[in-house]
Amino acid sequence: MRLLLAAAALILLTAGAPYETPQIDGEIFSRPLPGLDETLESAFRVGNSLFRRAWIIGPSAEPSELTGLGPLYNRLSCIACHVKNGRGPTPDAENGVARAMVLRLGVEGRDAEGGPLSHPIYGAQLNPEGIPGVPGEGRAILAFDAFATRLDDGEIVTMRRPRLSFRDLAYGPIGPETRMSLRNAPPVFGLGLLEAVPDDEIISHAAGPGGGRPNHVYDMAAGRIRLGRFGLKANQPTLRQQIAAAFAEDIGVASALFPEAGCAPAQLACRAAAGAGAELSPKQLGAVLDYVRGLAVPARRQTDDARVRRGATLFAALGCSSCHRETLRLGAVDFAPALSGAEIHPYTDLLLHDMGEGLADGRADFEAGPRDWRTPPLWGLGLAGRFATTGLLHDGRAATTAEAILWHGGEAEDAQGRFRALPRAEREALLAFLDSL
Amino acid sequence: MHFEHIAKSLRPSRRALLAGLPAALGAALVSRPARAAGDALVVVTSFPEELTTRYEAEFEKAHPDLHVQFVWKQSRDALALLSQPDQGGVDVCWAPSLSNFPILRDSGAFRPLAVDRAALPGRLGAQPISDPKGMFEAYDLAGYGIVYDPAALAALGAAVPKRWSDLAAPALAGRIAMPLAGKVGFSPALYDIILQAEGWERGWALLCEIAGGAQLSGSGPGPTGAVKEGRAALGLTIDFLALGAQANGAGVGFAYPERTAFLPGHIAVTAATRRPEAARAFVDFALSTKGQKLLMEADSSRHPARPDAYAGKAVRIVDPFALPEGSFFSYDAEIGRRRPGLISVLFDLSIAERHAETVAFWRALHAAEARLAAAPAAGGAAIVAEARKLAGFVPVSAAEASEPTLLDRFSGRDVKDPDLAGRWRAEIGAARAEATRLLASLDARL
Repeated sequence: MRLLLAAAALILLTAGAPYETPQIDGEIFSRPLPGLDETLESAFRVGNSLFRRAWIIGPSAEPSELTGLGPLYNRLSCIACHVKNGRGPTPDAENGVARAMVLRLGVEGRDAEGGPLSHPIYGAQLNPEGIPGVPGEGRAILAFDAFATRLDDGEIVTMRRPRLSFRDLAYGPIGPETRMSLRNAPPVFGLGLLEAVPDDEIISHAAGPGGGRPNHVYDMAAGRIRLGRFGLKANQPTLRQQIAAAFAEDIGVASALFPEAGCAPAQLACRAAAGAGAELSPKQLGAVLDYVRGLAVPARRQTDDARVRRGATLFAALGCSSCHRETLRLGAVDFAPALSGAEIHPYTDLLLHDMGEGLADGRADFEAGPRDWRTPPLWGLGLAGRFATTGLLHDGRAATTAEAILWHGGEAEDAQGRFRALPRAEREALLAFLDSL
Repeated sequence: MHFEHIAKSLRPSRRALLAGLPAALGAALVSRPARAAGDALVVVTSFPEELTTRYEAEFEKAHPDLHVQFVWKQSRDALALLSQPDQGGVDVCWAPSLSNFPILRDSGAFRPLAVDRAALPGRLGAQPISDPKGMFEAYDLAGYGIVYDPAALAALGAAVPKRWSDLAAPALAGRIAMPLAGKVGFSPALYDIILQAEGWERGWALLCEIAGGAQLSGSGPGPTGAVKEGRAALGLTIDFLALGAQANGAGVGFAYPERTAFLPGHIAVTAATRRPEAARAFVDFALSTKGQKLLMEADSSRHPARPDAYAGKAVRIVDPFALPEGSFFSYDAEIGRRRPGLISVLFDLSIAERHAETVAFWRALHAAEARLAAAPAAGGAAIVAEARKLAGFVPVSAAEASEPTLLDRFSGRDVKDPDLAGRWRAEIGAARAEATRLLASLDARL
């Protein structure tokens, strides 16, 4: 079995897939898929602008298409958190303000659609900012406590355990009963490809050696429960809903899918300031969707390096590829027909896995429990920190890939243990492989 | 509170939770707002969030007791907000807006700023960049020019343009991108630099001719994007967009033509601020050497207004304080700040509304000129000269374009005086029709 996995890993070392972009520079996460047709390229450019520009408080005397910020919000634009379309920055050690993260809030129980129940005072998410007249809800402060862990060969790795506190809470204490999940902004490239993986392909891996399981979540447009695949807990069924939810919750911009302002019942100033109706038009949502769908994936690098090849073999041998599946097959790709049926190499199974108590947050999300996280894609991993920020794992606690591996618990405990036991050269080969992604 | 502790603590019984919720809700309502609205230091700005976030993070590190909130406003909205009696709760105004700052100063909207003139000269050569009355200070300088693709220029056999007029070369037709004045914030200033540098009438004629070989872009990054992606060989733009692309790996160059200008963005403390010390601290940070160096980071690639900040700068950043005399001209900001609206309207009427016609006309005229050069025809040169003049006709004289009463009628970008605009449209149309007729008559002679 291991030999088979190793062989599969080696096959994947072929660079230059048709959905990849090879030029490595500050725009590496921002290039369109090669060969988009002219209409889609044009929509991609419009969506790019909408993704980057700051939203403004309405009404505006200027002929702006970006009116409707707030009443409560986290940041003014998508790009503020998804820096260069990559991860959000981990807070500065000096003051720890979690600017590019969201803190999901809730209480025990489920809402009418089976999702998490929002916090009765603060709503589903802590929004630090409010438009004039609406108090921002407060700020999450993230600090890290360093601790050391010893690998089997004696090497010491310094790790960081997150510690959360609050500043300027506008509506009183959040309360110990609150279920919280601090989430870093994930990269947004390659999501169009993940959307094109058929449900059957994902579910077929649920019975596999990785032992993952799907999340089933509410599709607001379809009005029914569907397979979840986007979001850190696979809590969104479609890219359109994921994007609309982010506009609504992070920027306070309503759309047809999320027509309500994110004001909890007690937030009277927020409710009074809320605009009526959608602020993000279907056309704008479509353009951002086209942009995110059209983002290419960074091409693999150093694929001929012997150490990288050895690392790829180890990746499979250690069991990492059971969940971080190298290959998924696409179904029909409407926006890039040439990719229909193609194999992609995202290194994810898009399934939930129990990652243990060390990584647990406090909040269930549909069928995902506090210890469950969706396997994050690893494509582009080696470029994190080179052009954008590094912070790995759901809350940015891991500054290096090794730290991220060492946080793996639960179903990944054994693989993590095998990583700990590797001789230094082998460990470095594995890390070199991950750096080549 | 450890995150781990939070996770473990979040397992109360459902009964305990339900019992506790009304109390929590009640406590919150009674105490609401625990923090008064407006505790943050409010900075109204139109700088991009990638830049402002850097200032927010760095300033709050130095002042952990303060929270900076940026309220993003375009020019007219910012003016309206800051003109309210309480100035909308704004503490600091920080924006590249040539027109707003003098208007607000004159209405008493700012507090005086004391700055060290040894560090912040307030001038660039002969050009004042800060308020002589000390109510607002230059924060950055933006240069205007041409982004280009060296390989595409080589393929066209063209050199990097040195003058604005070089962009009218027939060899570049179809390979230029330029921003729409009515849609791209920086473009009225860009075009006004050309109009001031070349002269009002000659400048409009030049703009019309360049536009005859250009694609028009409705977004600020559009021209740079078109060059980066190979859809154009050159683009008219503001420097930081091109330099930022360069810093991120794009193989583009940027040229400052002769007689270009660097125009300042400004910062000021509002008169109504309830946090004058905090506001002053933010301004001091933005103008400090450290704050000014943040401007030059790759994704911003802007020019500090503080000369000592250029020490150790990246090669792509030009130090305008160190340029030889005559590298740029002394732009008249007092006229310039009054006429973005007029320029936008005239650009729409003479270029954007009739772009296809403009492109066809100039293609035909350049072809006729080439044929004339190969085989001169009697009277041909005079006809071409007259056709050129008519094709670049602008229905507003240079004197009128500096007249406050006229400019006030176009204080925004939209047409506030449709009758006047309609008359101008008709005059331009008649001039173009005559130019086209002349060209057709020349065709018959060739």
